[in-house]
Amino acid sequence: MAEGQVNGCHTVEAWSDQLQKANDAKKLMVVDFTASWCAPCRFIAPFLAELAKKLPDVIFVKVDVDELKSVAADWAVEAMPTFMLLKEGKIVDKVVGAKKDELQQTIAKHLASA
Amino acid sequence: MAVSGFEGFEKRLELHFSGDDPIRVSNLGLRLLEFESVDDVLHAVQCTVVSAVGNRYFDAYVLSESSLFVYPTKIIIKTCGTTQLLKSIRPLLYYANLMGFYLSDCKYTRGSFIFPQSQPFPHTSFEDEVFYIENCLPSRLSHRKASFMPSKKSSSQSHAWHVFTASDDHHHHGHPLSSMDSLSPASSSYTVEVCMTELDRTTAQKFFRRPGDRKSGDAAGREMTENTGIRGINPNAFICDFAFDPCGYSMNGMHGEKYSTVHVTPEEGYSYASFECVGSLAHDRDDFVEVLKKVVQVFRPGNMSVAISCALTAGDDVWTRVINGLEPLGLKCRSCAVDDFPAAGTILFQTFTSRRK
Repeated sequence: MAEGQVNGCHTVEAWSDQLQKANDAKKLMVVDFTASWCAPCRFIAPFLAELAKKLPDVIFVKVDVDELKSVAADWAVEAMPTFMLLKEGKIVDKVVGAKKDELQQTIAKHLASA
Repeated sequence: MAVSGFEGFEKRLELHFSGDDPIRVSNLGLRLLEFESVDDVLHAVQCTVVSAVGNRYFDAYVLSESSLFVYPTKIIIKTCGTTQLLKSIRPLLYYANLMGFYLSDCKYTRGSFIFPQSQPFPHTSFEDEVFYIENCLPSRLSHRKASFMPSKKSSSQSHAWHVFTASDDHHHHGHPLSSMDSLSPASSSYTVEVCMTELDRTTAQKFFRRPGDRKSGDAAGREMTENTGIRGINPNAFICDFAFDPCGYSMNGMHGEKYSTVHVTPEEGYSYASFECVGSLAHDRDDFVEVLKKVVQVFRPGNMSVAISCALTAGDDVWTRVINGLEPLGLKCRSCAVDDFPAAGTILFQTFTSRRK
C-alpha cells in the first residue's frame, strides 16, 4: 500500500487487508466507491489524486463497485462516487457525489480530530 | 428594474438518440461518453462542472450556469446567463456519433429573457436561434416546428414561451426508448418547466452567502436546501446542491430515473428561480400539482410560468388542475396556451401573477 496515492482494491482479500492496515496504523482512510463507466467519478479523479499526494497521513483506497459488488452492497452504495471516511474500522463520515470542496473539508475535519 | 444584471432565464436543450448497433445501446449508452468529451462540450458553451453524481439510471452535473443530465439515450442541458447553449449541439452530435448514436429528437425551449440585449448570437432572437439549430441538425430530422407561445399580458413583463422541436421518423412506427421518454406519444410521462420572477424578498435573502462563513459551496448549498424548504419538495430525492458566492443556488435531485432541478438568482430587481422535474401522469397525477404548490410556497413569486410537455392525449385536465391548485395560493392565471409538436407531444403554457401585486 503506497502513501501519497489512491490504491486500487480489486479483491475482497485486498480490501480486508487495506482495512486492517489502516486500522493498525490508526490512520484516517478514505474509500472512493467508483466504477469504470462512471463519468462523475472521472471528473473528480484528478482532484482525488492531488489530495492523496498532499495528505500522506491519509490512506486513499479505490473500490470498483462492479469488481467488489458485495462490498458495495454491504456499504449501501447507491450513487457514485461515494466517499466513505473510516477511522479504526468505523465509518465516521461520508460524501456522496463528486464534490471537491466538501470532500476536502470533510477529510480536514476528521484529520483535525485525530 | 435594473438596467442589466445576471440573466436567470435558462435555455434548455433536450436531445434524444438512438443507436443502430444493439450492443452499443447497452444499459449505459451515452453515459459512457468520456468525461473529457463532456468537458469539451461544456467548454463550447462556456460553463464548467461544479459537482457531479450518478445513480443506476443517469448522471447529473451541477454546472457553473445550471445543469446537465446524461441518460443512456437522452441528454438534457440547461444553462442561464449569457452562455451559448446551442454551441453544444455540434460537439455532442460528434461524440455521440463516434459511439454509434444518432440524433432522433431535438427540443429547445426557453422563456423570455429579462435582459434580451445582453444575449450573444444566436440568442439575439428566437429566429436566430431556430436558424442556428436547424443548421446543426441532420436533415433526417424532418418533422420540425417552431412556436412562440405568448402570454397575452398587458404589463411590460410578459413570460412568453419559445419552443423548437425536430424529430426523425422513428416514433411514427417505433417504440418508446424508455419509460421516461416523454417524447413518445404513448408515454404518460411529462416534463414541467417552471420559471418564477419577483421572488419574495425574505426568501431571496436566504440564497445569499453569509460573509465569512468559511463553509464550502457544497455545505452552504445544503444549508440553503434545508432552510428554504426546497428539501421538502421531494423528500425522497437525493439532492446535489451548491451555493454560489456571493449569492445564487443550484440543485439537482435524483429519485430513481427521475431528475429535478432548481436554480436561483436572488438579486433584487432581477430575481429569478426555476424548477423543473419529470414524472408520470399515470402514477403521480395528484403529486404533480402538490409539487407545484410546494414550489410556490418556497419562492412566493410575483410572476410564474408553467410549461408542461406531455403526450398528445395525456394533458387534458392538467391545466385546470394547475389553475385550481395555484389559485388558493394567491396565483391568478393570466394566460393559457397549448400547441402540439411532432417531437414533443403537447406543450401547455400557463402564466400566473400573484394577487399581492
